[in-house]
Amino acid sequence: MKIIEQQISFGNEELLLTNQRAIFWQQQKTLILSDLHLGKAAHFRKHGIALPSQVSVHDLQRLQQLLLHFKAEQVIIVGDLLHAGANKEVNLLKDFIATFPYIHFTLVKGNHDKFPDYVLQDMGIHTICSHLNIGAIHFSHQHTNQNTFSITGHIHPGVSLQFPDKKRLRLPCYVVAPQQIILPAFSLFTGLDTRAVQSNVICYAFYEEGIFKIS
Amino acid sequence: MKKTFQHTQGYTVVDNWMQSKTFTPFSFQQNTWEKYAAGYSGMVVAPTGFGKTFSVFLAVLIDFMNAPDTYKDGLKLLWITPLRSLAKDLGKAMQEAIDEIGLDWTVEVRNGDTDPKQKAKQSKQMPDVLLVTPESLHLLLAQKGREKIFKSLRCVSVDEWHELLGSKRGVMVELALAYLKAKNKKLRIWGITATIGNLDEALEVLIPHDNKKTKIVAKEKKKIEVLSVFPDQVEVLPWAGHLGGKLVDQVVPIILKSKSTIVFTNTRGQSEAWYQLLLDAYPDFAGQIAIHHSSIDGKLRQWIEESLSAGKLKAVVSTSSLDLGVDFKPVDTVIQIGSSKGVARFMQRAGRSGHSPFEVSTIYAVPTHSLELIEVAALKEAVKKQVIESREPVVQTFDVLVQFLITLALGGGFYENEIFPVIKKTFVFSEITEEEWQWCIAFITVGGKIGQNYEEYHKVMQHEDGLLIVENRRIAMLHRMNVGVIVSDAMLKVKFISGGYIGMMEEYFISRMKPGDKFILAGRVLEMIRIKEMTAYVRSSSGKAITPSWLGGRLPLTSQLSQFLREKLAAANKPGATEKELNFLHPLFARQKEISHIPADDEFLVELIKTKEGYHLFMYPFEGRLIHEVMSALMAFRISKLYPISFSMAMNDYGFELFSDTEIKLDDEQLQQILSPDNLIQDVVNSINATEMAKRKFRDIAVISGMVVQTFPGAQKTNKSLQSSAGIIFNVLETHDADNLLLRQAYTEVFNQQLEEQRLTAAFQRIKKSKIIFKFATGFTPLSFPIKVDSLRQSLSSEDLASRIQKLQTSSLKPAKKK
Repeated sequence: MKIIEQQISFGNEELLLTNQRAIFWQQQKTLILSDLHLGKAAHFRKHGIALPSQVSVHDLQRLQQLLLHFKAEQVIIVGDLLHAGANKEVNLLKDFIATFPYIHFTLVKGNHDKFPDYVLQDMGIHTICSHLNIGAIHFSHQHTNQNTFSITGHIHPGVSLQFPDKKRLRLPCYVVAPQQIILPAFSLFTGLDTRAVQSNVICYAFYEEGIFKIS
Repeated sequence: MKKTFQHTQGYTVVDNWMQSKTFTPFSFQQNTWEKYAAGYSGMVVAPTGFGKTFSVFLAVLIDFMNAPDTYKDGLKLLWITPLRSLAKDLGKAMQEAIDEIGLDWTVEVRNGDTDPKQKAKQSKQMPDVLLVTPESLHLLLAQKGREKIFKSLRCVSVDEWHELLGSKRGVMVELALAYLKAKNKKLRIWGITATIGNLDEALEVLIPHDNKKTKIVAKEKKKIEVLSVFPDQVEVLPWAGHLGGKLVDQVVPIILKSKSTIVFTNTRGQSEAWYQLLLDAYPDFAGQIAIHHSSIDGKLRQWIEESLSAGKLKAVVSTSSLDLGVDFKPVDTVIQIGSSKGVARFMQRAGRSGHSPFEVSTIYAVPTHSLELIEVAALKEAVKKQVIESREPVVQTFDVLVQFLITLALGGGFYENEIFPVIKKTFVFSEITEEEWQWCIAFITVGGKIGQNYEEYHKVMQHEDGLLIVENRRIAMLHRMNVGVIVSDAMLKVKFISGGYIGMMEEYFISRMKPGDKFILAGRVLEMIRIKEMTAYVRSSSGKAITPSWLGGRLPLTSQLSQFLREKLAAANKPGATEKELNFLHPLFARQKEISHIPADDEFLVELIKTKEGYHLFMYPFEGRLIHEVMSALMAFRISKLYPISFSMAMNDYGFELFSDTEIKLDDEQLQQILSPDNLIQDVVNSINATEMAKRKFRDIAVISGMVVQTFPGAQKTNKSLQSSAGIIFNVLETHDADNLLLRQAYTEVFNQQLEEQRLTAAFQRIKKSKIIFKFATGFTPLSFPIKVDSLRQSLSSEDLASRIQKLQTSSLKPAKKK
């Protein structure tokens, strides 16, 4: 796994966007990600669609590598940590968190996070909230019309690129507006919304080998 | 005919009935009756309009009347038709015959249009004859009491077998027949088909398991008269689409002098355009002509069909939506706009006119560019020689198999060791290995070969005695909703804001329209107002509007037709061409000959043309657009191995172009080299993006196998999400379960269907044997011009993603217009 970074300024903060679907905030030693949708493959299996569980395992492995790479001390998940009801893939999370006793896990709840707080706490998540402020930055799953710098998730943003030969390619991206960042979905087992992206913003699209700016 | 059979009671009754209707049975009908009576299964080959239905149907009645005591209560004859619209009228005709003959049998229809109450009634008490589609038959097999439903069944008849063969719907029929036959060894299976190139194979696919089978071919032939519509003058540089409009003034009088006409076009867009052209050219047609294609409201289509039958319409402009179906007696003329691209389709369409047995079918061919006149000459020859395309049966379609296994698991379950031999006996799965079978069973029970990767997956449960059965009600419901193999693009309803339904339109087209944009559907100009919940609301408008270009409208030329095409072109070079079409095109051929060359039978023409824009390399294999797509990518790949160069490619059914702004340097030896059949498939694989192509194929496979759910209860998923989810699932399986059979099937389909491996290899072998003629020119030739101006242009790049993106970054990067 290659971790390729792109530094940007957001408000007065310096953030590292990575091609691995998470932002690292150096000053706070915090990894920020959204839409992990853990348990999605298992949810599909329960409904008779045969998808291997490695999809979810693979997402957690990527998260592990990012945590080790950046030596993060805090993780903020901006919603949709869990896809649906309880299943065996969801249980993986408890074991995962237990291997990082020195990291503080925070969940800003999203529309998919229907578990009661005590269950989430039992999994080892330290802070559970519906929104969060750190310094000048406001974290929430979906965008609210607040006049602050905010980081959100939810829409799984993507861009559609057109090559000179008219072929199109869809890539996930970060959407960066003057006062808002929309995170890409962390899970690889998610779709993209290329339509919800406004035209007056900067996008940072990425793939396995790199990250690049589109304005 | 044997005297003994002639004297049976059944035969006498039917013969008397025929005489009372002043029908004389055709010999193929009598043969069928006799063979059926002798216990045979078989296939009847006859042209439309000659009473094919009555061959098999009356055979069953005769057999019943000869031995009524052997027949039990319940369903006796199951009649499979590919089209719902056929079933209703067919059922009516059968019931009428039964009533007149004086039997008390009932005939009923069961398909997607059937009222649920009626279906429930049928499930309790089956009629004597049931007309179904392959899908509704599978749904019957998914019912718990399926054994009871089919316990009295004596015969299954598969109508229009040529339409089903070669498709996954055909596979559905094969599987259902194998199952029914296994449950009832005495079951007779009869197919009814039009002439195709591989009749013996068609019989083998339909009835692979029975030694007592026969093929009955009608001696009667449908007479077809092909007439070309000639433009006033030859365009030496033909331009596709350009001509169509000009010929409308010649088409109007043909419609006027005919009783009733069907105007066939190849795409919905073309049909909308011609409907408008005809109205503009002859305003009195208003109210007398109609437009018929698959995007038009079903009720309106039904009304059009009824009006056409009743002789109330002067003409209907249609697409392949009217290729099949009930006879329209008043129709005496068919007009084909543009090339039909295949012999079978051309004859099928011609046969829609002059429907009764000894009438002549008249078809006018209207070229959309002058080169298409050669195609008409080629078609005439093919029709005369009765060289008709084969329908290649598909094999090893595991997506359909797993769907069928779940169907069986629903209808009361099945045992593995009981069903495997049944599946193995079908044509489609005759090559299935034990290992592949085990994979399919694992797929429906534990999700995959490595079960622990698929924990909590319980689609099909296995009881202790081995019975495989679906127990989860939600899974059962989802499966029933998804039975079938027709995967369509997501469609939006188009409705007037004031109420009233116009038709359906693909989501990808509608989603590009902004409020206020105008488009044409069902011959009307509509203004977009808004999209809400899978419905586009519009109002009537006028003025300039977009004619939607629907995907999938462009069919490639079949190999049969391309062979004749090459012959006709070669013939044009010889003095004394007798065909009108070739004579007419003389100025065009003269020009081609003057500045380049007309390839003879044993020659292969390559043109290198230098213009202001750059260098154009043209090749003319005449193999159809799909093959040319692959060949052009291959040529680009092989040339770029000689020296660095990049191309854009364009192609039509006759040939293809490689364009580059840098000089294309090729000597004769290099030309030989790039056209060589050596390492062909290896180079093809290297020149195309097989993964991307397989991913597209996987979209259908994912839906058929149930990996992607097409319709959730209550909520219609949009196609966009369906496509991307099939894409995501494809990626997941590529990464984590590369041996997945469904994934492998996607690649196989790419090679068999997209790349047409066999045809491609044959084409290169032919080129190898040909003399290569390499010509240089400084202006476009009559053959090259249509490729240049009117073709699908694309370039297949062999660069990897990273370098493509880097290249993009150096040019100005802007997100593509949102689509």
